Amino acid sequence: MTRLGVKVGSVSLKSPLILASGTCNFGHELSEYYDLSILGGLSSKGLTIKPRAGNEGVRVAETASGMLNSVGLQNPGVDYFIEHDLDYMRSLNTGVIVNVAGHSFDDYMAMIEKLDPHKDKIDALEINLSCPNVKAGCMSIGTDPAQIREIVSAMRSRTDLPLWIKLTPNVTDIKSMALAAQNAGADAVVLINTLLGMVIDIKTRRPVLRNNTGGYSGPAVKPIAIRMVAECSKVLDIPIIGCGGVMDYKDVLEFMIAGASAVEIGTASLIHPTCPVDITRDLTDYCKSNNIDLSDLTGTLELW
Amino acid sequence: MNKEYSCKVLKREMLTQDTAYLTIDCPEIAQKAIPGQFVNVSCSRFLKRPFGIASTDKENGTFNIGIKIVGGGSGELASIPEGTVINVLGPLGNGFDLSSDSYILVSGGTGVFPINFAYETLRASGKDVTMVQGFRDKSQICLTSDDYIVTTDSGDYGIKGTCIAGLDTIDLKKDQIVCCVGPVPMMKAVGSWAEAKRLKCYISMEQRMACGIGICLVCVCKKKAEQEGVPFEHVRCCKDGPVFEYGEVIL
Ligand SMILES: Cc1cc2nc3c(=O)[nH]c(=O)nc-3n(C[C@H](O)[C@H](O)[C@H](O)COP(=O)(O)OP(=O)(O)OC[C@H]3O[C@@H](n4cnc5c(N)ncnc54)[C@H](O)[C@@H]3O)c2cc1C
Ligand SMILES: Cc1cc2nc3c(=O)[nH]c(=O)nc-3n(C[C@H](O)[C@H](O)[C@H](O)COP(=O)(O)O)c2cc1C
Ligand code: FES
Repeated sequence: MTRLGVKVGSVSLKSPLILASGTCNFGHELSEYYDLSILGGLSSKGLTIKPRAGNEGVRVAETASGMLNSVGLQNPGVDYFIEHDLDYMRSLNTGVIVNVAGHSFDDYMAMIEKLDPHKDKIDALEINLSCPNVKAGCMSIGTDPAQIREIVSAMRSRTDLPLWIKLTPNVTDIKSMALAAQNAGADAVVLINTLLGMVIDIKTRRPVLRNNTGGYSGPAVKPIAIRMVAECSKVLDIPIIGCGGVMDYKDVLEFMIAGASAVEIGTASLIHPTCPVDITRDLTDYCKSNNIDLSDLTGTLELW
Repeated sequence: MNKEYSCKVLKREMLTQDTAYLTIDCPEIAQKAIPGQFVNVSCSRFLKRPFGIASTDKENGTFNIGIKIVGGGSGELASIPEGTVINVLGPLGNGFDLSSDSYILVSGGTGVFPINFAYETLRASGKDVTMVQGFRDKSQICLTSDDYIVTTDSGDYGIKGTCIAGLDTIDLKKDQIVCCVGPVPMMKAVGSWAEAKRLKCYISMEQRMACGIGICLVCVCKKKAEQEGVPFEHVRCCKDGPVFEYGEVIL
């Protein structure tokens, strides 16, 4: 393991950098820009049992330092993914994280049953209890500790694959959600998915997004994500994967100091597709000039 | 490998009152680009802005984009000082089918830019090209020539009417391919005109984009579903398009 290597529970990653779900598809396009094997991992687009066409109309709205999306979990369905994309992701020589979404308890269980037989090709399942862009399920499950406990413990009894629970920031007390996941047998939590937002076109007096609301991401949301990682880090025993607004290596360091064992890069890839190459180089330099292993930073935050 | 280029804006000129034409230094894009492709250009806004490639100069290693001012980002890029360095991703997306020997090119609005590149490329390889340009009125006319059929909605220049009025003046040849870029209603009209004449027709779509390279799925166009039971599918404008055969996506 080099100085960038990290462990998320039982999963060893060669770098803390993971491409966030929905911002790298299944890796095909970005591998035209750089060798994805420098990454710790890649999280697939959120998958569902059946293919989904996603939402209609305008799906993106820009803000001063971020964007809202209302893609609505467009994906080819888990069967198509297993047949066409999983082997490709495995061939990239980086961690394979499969992002799992659904509308109901049964959906999530059916997803586990589909994916568990392919466990030799998967490093972890990222359970998306947090997508704000679909009408039923997903985010509403992730805002209720009782439902989180029910769904995570049922998944736990059905698979040995590492379960990373991706939580929504659209809650009052993130700690109780993270604890519910931990107590139900989760291996890690991923903090955070997008924040629910709205942008209005003042000329038409209508929301820019055809779905009215969308998920807010990018540098604007980073302080919220950092706060949530720091809060959860104080109460959790399982590792945290930080996510939200990472644009450069300093953001990665900030997440790790707050308590993250690994860090996901989302919206930044949409702005600069090769930014993980720069971040990897800068983190390597940082470790060299400070003579530390990056994982030593995790949870070193001292609060006032 | 593809990359994001830092390129210098060598020249900026105003083609009309609200449309600028930039000459950008980037030998790689000039070398690789084919007509119909676009670039995603950074400005001070959070997201990049997509623009069709309007021309390339392989020898001097430059390419051009035309920018109509419609908002903050386009306004900033249209007044950018010469010498400024901007980040550019490209060339992106799929271009036109250039395999035929004879073409009818049709442009409306900012479609004049990608269509200009198609014209230059096809003429340079000695192909037969008829050019039809539609503009709102005389003040909008740019990148034109006396060899072209020009129509204006207002009738203050060329043929009065839509570009269909221009198309109806052409003597058609066998296996001619129609390439059309413009507002959706115009592409619909040209597409069904071509269908009636049994000509293959390509159009180019515009959607709001973020990445421009196919990873975020925000820029989709509706397509008739291949599977039964699904009302439609979504394809990415940036990666699966922006050029589609007429009829492939639902307009
Ligand atoms: C593939 C493609 C090729 C294009 N080629 C050209 C070109 O050659 N020349 C040219 O002048 N313009 C072109 N456009 C349109 C251009 O990208 C937009 O006009 C520009 O992004 C607007 O940015 P803004 O900040 O000025 O506008 P904003 O302030 O963001 O919005 C102002 C208006 O522009 C519209 N708009 C915003 N973003 C887009 C977008 N991505 N696509 C379409 N409309 C948008 C909005 O609906 C709004 O009405 C192209 C768009 C695409 C997708
Ligand atoms: C266009 C887009 C699509 C996304 N799709 C998914 C998804 O399918 N599943 C998921 O768990 N998160 C999805 N996300 C959320 C990101 O993975 C990430 O949690 C969020 O954007 C915050 O990180 P960022 O600020 O670095 O982008 C999506 C984000 C964006 C911008
Ligand atoms: S703009 Fe991201 S997929 Fe087209």
